[in-house]
Amino acid sequence: MTQFHLPAGSRYRDVPGRSHPAPAGAQRVREFRIYRWDPESGQKPRIDRFEIDLDACGPMVLDALLKIKNEIDPTLTFRRSCREGICGSCAMNIDGVNALACTCAIADIRGAVRIFPLPHLAVTKDLVPDLAHFYAQYAAVEPWLKTRTPPPPDRECLQSPADQERVDRPSACILCACCSTSCPSYWWNSDRYLGPAALMAAYRWVVDTRDEAQGERLDALEDPFRLYRCHTIMNCVAACPKDLNPARVIADLKRRVGDRQH
Amino acid sequence: MSLRSPLGAALGHGSARSGPAHGWNQRLSALALVPLGLWFLCALLALPDLGHATVVAWIATPTTAVLLLLFALLSLWHSLLGVATIVEDYVHGPVVKTASLLALQAAHGVAALCVIVAVIAILGGSAR
Repeated sequence: MTQFHLPAGSRYRDVPGRSHPAPAGAQRVREFRIYRWDPESGQKPRIDRFEIDLDACGPMVLDALLKIKNEIDPTLTFRRSCREGICGSCAMNIDGVNALACTCAIADIRGAVRIFPLPHLAVTKDLVPDLAHFYAQYAAVEPWLKTRTPPPPDRECLQSPADQERVDRPSACILCACCSTSCPSYWWNSDRYLGPAALMAAYRWVVDTRDEAQGERLDALEDPFRLYRCHTIMNCVAACPKDLNPARVIADLKRRVGDRQH
Repeated sequence: MSLRSPLGAALGHGSARSGPAHGWNQRLSALALVPLGLWFLCALLALPDLGHATVVAWIATPTTAVLLLLFALLSLWHSLLGVATIVEDYVHGPVVKTASLLALQAAHGVAALCVIVAVIAILGGSAR
């Protein structure tokens, strides 16, 4: 049966977290509650509290995390790279919503800022989830151009501007995993359901007019779990930090698979 | 702990090459149930009372019997498609899952047979 609760002993409420008060004289103080767990330590997860002086911190949640790591607790572990919403590394659950820490303004959050790793993934450490299966699902849709017609010897495969527009939006996916890990269908069936991100990647090649493997791609998706476990819950649309619409893409994939029947 | 590669796990046993029919059937039955449900509700409200004799007399007309059979059987079909999806979503043990799906199919099948026999019996006069 599906496991709706964390195993006994792994709930963060079981262990009191550590508190780090704001420095004396701080005027604009915000509290950050951050999930901490090192599976190799043998200890249980906990929530640490950090009080940050916003007058001495950048405006984004990632700025606060970097300030904590640099000035308060260097053991805090999280992924980050570009700090401008293009690499997708700093995806995490902020105030109950999957988002990129670098594009999430502290001012937009009321009360204490609660930060957890992306849900329903194994935790590697603190805010770092294990994305191996997520990336394997991306690889499974074979996200590269497949043709039978040999490419022209003197130039690349051409594409009209209108054809390019069809792949513009799906190509904008940064594989941050915010969508897939916000999807209840993915939570319970990620072993077989590809999830919104991998399906978006598959769609990007299905609509590419240069690709000649649309049939094989749709064959691979025609499955009650791989594609049809999407129940149009639409959490993916709300979670996408790039304003993409994976639900519409999945509906279009279902239509294309279904259209082959008639 | 399995040493299977993440890609091997993601690819699994491949595609089942099915799936569109389920969604199509669920939406089609839902659409058909809208007018049939409205008819059923309006017809019941139009009856002078909901006593046994009145309702049996109402079912005993051929038009009502056909529409009622359509409504009941489509409802059961739609219900089976829906609850089977819930089982597929949340029950992961292969034995429990298969047993649950078979039990659901059997329950819906028996219910459908009961509806058919009841309506035919009323229509034929044996249940009056």
